[in-house]
Amino acid sequence: MKKLSTATPLSDSIRSIPAPQRVRIALGRGHTPAVKRKQVVGKGQVLAETTSSGPFGVGFVHATIDGIVEDILPEAIIIGPIPSPGEGKEAPVPERPGRAEHKNLADEALVRWLREMGIDTSRFHPSRTVVVNGLNPEPGAFLSEQLLRDERATLDAGINLLERAVRPGNVHLVVARGSGYGLHGAHVVEADPQYPSTLDALVAVTATGSENPEATDVISVADLYRVGRVATTGLPLTEAVLTVEGHAVRVPTGTPIVEVLDALGVQVPAGATVALGGPMTGEAISSLDIGVPENCTAITIVPPGRYPQVGPNPCINCGECVLVCPARIQPGMLSRYAEFALFEETRPRHIAACVECGMCTYVCPANRPVLQYIRLAKHKLEEQDAFVATCRLQDE
Amino acid sequence: MVSQQSPSLHTVTAPPFWHCGRTVTGDMYRLLVALVPAALLGVYRFGYDALTVLAVAGLTAVITEALIQRLMEQSPSAHDFTALADGILLAFLLPATAPWWLVVVGSAVTIILGRMVFGGFGGSPVCAPAVGWCVLTVSWPAYMDLNGMLLRWDLVEPLSELKYFGVEAISGISLSSLVFGQNLGALGASQAGLVLAAGVALLCMGQIRWYIPVSYLAGVFGTALIYWLIDPQLYASPLFHLLAGTTMFTAFFLLPYPSASPVFRIPMILFGLMAGALTILIRVYGIYPDGAPFAVLLANLCTPLLDLIQPKPFGGR
Repeated sequence: MKKLSTATPLSDSIRSIPAPQRVRIALGRGHTPAVKRKQVVGKGQVLAETTSSGPFGVGFVHATIDGIVEDILPEAIIIGPIPSPGEGKEAPVPERPGRAEHKNLADEALVRWLREMGIDTSRFHPSRTVVVNGLNPEPGAFLSEQLLRDERATLDAGINLLERAVRPGNVHLVVARGSGYGLHGAHVVEADPQYPSTLDALVAVTATGSENPEATDVISVADLYRVGRVATTGLPLTEAVLTVEGHAVRVPTGTPIVEVLDALGVQVPAGATVALGGPMTGEAISSLDIGVPENCTAITIVPPGRYPQVGPNPCINCGECVLVCPARIQPGMLSRYAEFALFEETRPRHIAACVECGMCTYVCPANRPVLQYIRLAKHKLEEQDAFVATCRLQDE
Repeated sequence: MVSQQSPSLHTVTAPPFWHCGRTVTGDMYRLLVALVPAALLGVYRFGYDALTVLAVAGLTAVITEALIQRLMEQSPSAHDFTALADGILLAFLLPATAPWWLVVVGSAVTIILGRMVFGGFGGSPVCAPAVGWCVLTVSWPAYMDLNGMLLRWDLVEPLSELKYFGVEAISGISLSSLVFGQNLGALGASQAGLVLAAGVALLCMGQIRWYIPVSYLAGVFGTALIYWLIDPQLYASPLFHLLAGTTMFTAFFLLPYPSASPVFRIPMILFGLMAGALTILIRVYGIYPDGAPFAVLLANLCTPLLDLIQPKPFGGR
């Protein structure tokens, strides 16, 4: 089996592309719109606030271009160009928020400020060990190393701010062996950039030496970069940085993916899979019109027919999945239980240990959707547990 | 701006989107190609008969599978070469002069008892070609006797010599003649050198893992070494056992049979060692000259037990 290295040549620099006319900014479950339709908004203005008020959670959503709110959908807010005013009327001027100071803030107040600036703070916790995953998480997705090379100052600013906000016990940075990357005040740990050891759960093992590390948060370089960006600019987060087919690019959040691809000259073959994220854990999209989410770090394009088609083929018990499984479980066996709807049987066989790296499906010579079956079983078990919990409540 | 992207549908699937590219068809294709040199040498040594045995075994396997799949209302799978591979693996174990009906029966038994009764390829808890060989050996010992079937050649079958005439009788058989298959033996399995080369090639391609072949060969060597150290006048040398008979073929092609071998690392090593020790025990105490396929079946039966030796899962205490 070919080894799956995530070492990838970096792009010369992080490019910018022409600003889009129209953006589609995704909303989460916990967001309530703070603007009305036809309202003129300036870049950085709050579009949606979060319903929960604590310091830790998803961030506010901001306008990423000047424009007018064209539509407010349950899952997105669409901002389009401001229409030209009628005769004799003055064009409305979008108001952009000014630079906000954070020098006097600390601890929870600072975390809350980060959240208001659009940072998802749900991964941060006070006084815990922070592990920064400086490895490219997946093959072909090289944003982590690109940022470590090109945006050191912003990352250091991010670390400084985090130190004031959550006061981590230790900061570890896990980087590829021989890459020489570092961060201010971080203890550098070198590791082989071999998938799946580049995933957060396994990077935590590399950094702390324990599979059950106590009080440890793993964050990606991109997470840190967003914090650093807000810290240095004092402006809300309005951009996403991502890699596409060897290019690194900076775009306003919500830029339609088709415009990113066009600007970079990347052609998507008919019938290809286009995914947000890397080739192993990304999320396939059905339309190129959706906007780039703020936490998107890569767009992966897989032409049709490049790989054998995965299908409901019988397991041949070869055990390849067992040999590659970082969780040391039997993915093939679990997938067969799931295939025949024996979900309860997967529990004593440690389905909970699965880190969903996808290596089992990757190596399967029978071309079975091994991980997909495992995810199905996990989902069904969760449903069952929720159901049992509800029944118990009703009994009491 | 007009987009350069052609308006088209996209394939939406669940991740991972990449695959290493291996398929069952590809694996079987490589396995068959790897066996070609050994088969050619077998045909060169034993003549046209060997080719007939190979062809009949392969063809019978494919046809039997197709018929049974029809009966079982499964979709036909002859295109993935697994049936053909099982037939050819069986042929490698037979005497080159085996009568056609013996080959047909053996190949059909391989597919029916070795595979289809368990649901098909990948479902069987035993190595299918070994099942075929064992049924033939137990049912028609005279036709499976390599020395007896190959009387046409003025050579001997090393393991039969050892069994019936003792260590003295094999003193004239050089190790290099065993490597190059210059003695009597099973059609393809006796070409120890080329079979080893085929196995190593598949090992390098990552198709078979080292755990089972290496531990099996270690098991054979270690057990034979113990006997040899006890009395070299009575027992053959470990190197002889490594190269004679079907040892090499068993190590790389019968024992790692996917569905019948354990999947965790330590169980695979124990499985190999166990089969290796059993092979020598059968050769020393058994009534058959070469018991490797018997050892394979016995080890196969222990697979589910061995696979209970599992590592702690990730994060387990």
